Amino acid sequence: MKISKEDVVYIAKLAKLRFSEDEIEKLTGEFESILDYFRSIDRMDLENVDPDEFADRRETVSRADENVIFGDREKLFRNAGSMRGTFIQVPRILD
Amino acid sequence: MSGGITGTHGNDFGLMSVREISAGVAAGRYSASEITRMCVERIKSTDGETGAFLTVCEETAIAQAKAVDEKIRSGKKPGKLAGVPVAVKDNICTDGIRTTCASRMLEDYIPPYNATVVEKLISEDAVIIGKTNMDEFAMGSSTENSAFKITRNPRDTDRVPGGSSGGSAAAVAAGMVPAALGSDTGGSIRQPAAFCGIVGLKPTYGLVSRYGLIAFGSSLDQVGPMTKTVEDCALMLEVIQGMDVRDSTSHRGKYPQDYAGRLGEGIRDFRIAVLKEFFTDGLDGEIASAVRDSARRLEGLGAAVDEVSLPAAGDGLAAYYIISSAEASSNLARYDGIRYGHRPKEFADVDELMEKARSEGFGTEVKRRIMLGTYALSSGYYDAYYKRAQKYRKLLRSQLAGVFEKYDLILGPTSPVLPFRIGERIGDPLSMYLADVYTIIVNLAGLPAISVPCGSSRDGLPIGLQLIGPHFGETVILQAAYALEQELKLEP
Repeated sequence: MKISKEDVVYIAKLAKLRFSEDEIEKLTGEFESILDYFRSIDRMDLENVDPDEFADRRETVSRADENVIFGDREKLFRNAGSMRGTFIQVPRILD
Repeated sequence: MSGGITGTHGNDFGLMSVREISAGVAAGRYSASEITRMCVERIKSTDGETGAFLTVCEETAIAQAKAVDEKIRSGKKPGKLAGVPVAVKDNICTDGIRTTCASRMLEDYIPPYNATVVEKLISEDAVIIGKTNMDEFAMGSSTENSAFKITRNPRDTDRVPGGSSGGSAAAVAAGMVPAALGSDTGGSIRQPAAFCGIVGLKPTYGLVSRYGLIAFGSSLDQVGPMTKTVEDCALMLEVIQGMDVRDSTSHRGKYPQDYAGRLGEGIRDFRIAVLKEFFTDGLDGEIASAVRDSARRLEGLGAAVDEVSLPAAGDGLAAYYIISSAEASSNLARYDGIRYGHRPKEFADVDELMEKARSEGFGTEVKRRIMLGTYALSSGYYDAYYKRAQKYRKLLRSQLAGVFEKYDLILGPTSPVLPFRIGERIGDPLSMYLADVYTIIVNLAGLPAISVPCGSSRDGLPIGLQLIGPHFGETVILQAAYALEQELKLEP
């Protein structure tokens, strides 16, 4: 399985990750050996297997869509990077 | 482990079991506060060398213990885990107590709520003593992927405790706590239990609530107990299991009860399958002979043991790493540096904020898995990897269901290798992944499995044996593990 540096850079962009040149070099090599190993599933005969993982299980569970008030607002937002009043602040996304 | 046994473990905290502590506290032989003090002292004197804990919550633990003592003094019925100190893996949310996942990403994260399992422990009067080290986001098999520290195996401090619940396993093995919680996505409870010479149970998918467990692979993750004895494991499971409306994958049917009370029923006429595919070239010779010897001992106790072939069992690793990495890449997309988690100091726009937060916050292995998962799900590769892996999963499930039509449980080694040296495998991700080869099929099929000590190597390293049951077959695997434990009577 041939993996190019460009492949790794493209996947990093999809994953919202940044890597240095050295890291990309290293990841490319690792990717190649890991994906080669992953290819071992090609040897298996899976022709007649229905991929629907959940076909043999019970039905999906859903619950009533009801609001529950989380009383302690301070506790809820204490992990947010930056707040303005009761809003979480983010960089401008529209010009 | 320290010696000095007096009576039924007298006041040697390091040897006391969950059963002894809860019975002793309920009967007033010691207070929850005394036990908590002994526990904190034991951690202070031992953990410098082991490195099992990321956080020790002495203050809140003492407050919880006082509340338990007050409850007993006022004549109320004590809970099932009265005064029992429990360590919790640091990917399980604890209200007001830092929960880091051993990641820079969550270095300062303080959850605003308790995981359901933590609520259940507290409601049965257990005391949450601290949070244990782990591989970052539970990705790893040695606890070396923690962003904060190395944890050493108490049985040989040059070696890893296994992973990813290595801190929980080491804390129990070193006698710092009688019980801990771990999480198991591909073997992360059972493999460290085997490496440290303790008992670890991965429950049936859906038996224990995942609410408040920081997600890695949501179709695979399950919380479970890690203890010194099988009886303690059963007691802990009774407390943490149960339906939870906050987890949509929670089992809606009946739950087996009284695991501990039924342990002694014996294993006469149990039908046990030994999987041929587990005894291949990659398996350490000493582990193979210890496991085979245990199978004979169970036969001697009246069980029928057959060798059985399950062709799919040997091929699961690729499918496991494809599915778990794909789920991880999706689950970890939530870390964007905005609502919580690491936030970079400088950024020009929202894209840079997210990219920097993730690149600075995640460690090498986590990034590697996100990349692999993103690749496996990306356009053009989805059919080749993810879809084939799901087909394999389906095939494996149906082959395993076939085995359980004829057998009560499956027996095999927990790990193909003995605890390895710190640093020995960390440079080669694929060799680390291979440590999970016997445990991952259990998660892919959603089955319960327990790792129980079954001997030691010539060098004194622990060897673990795995018993796998059908869905909701915890009663049976606990009974078999208990029978083996009583038969082998291994020294701790």
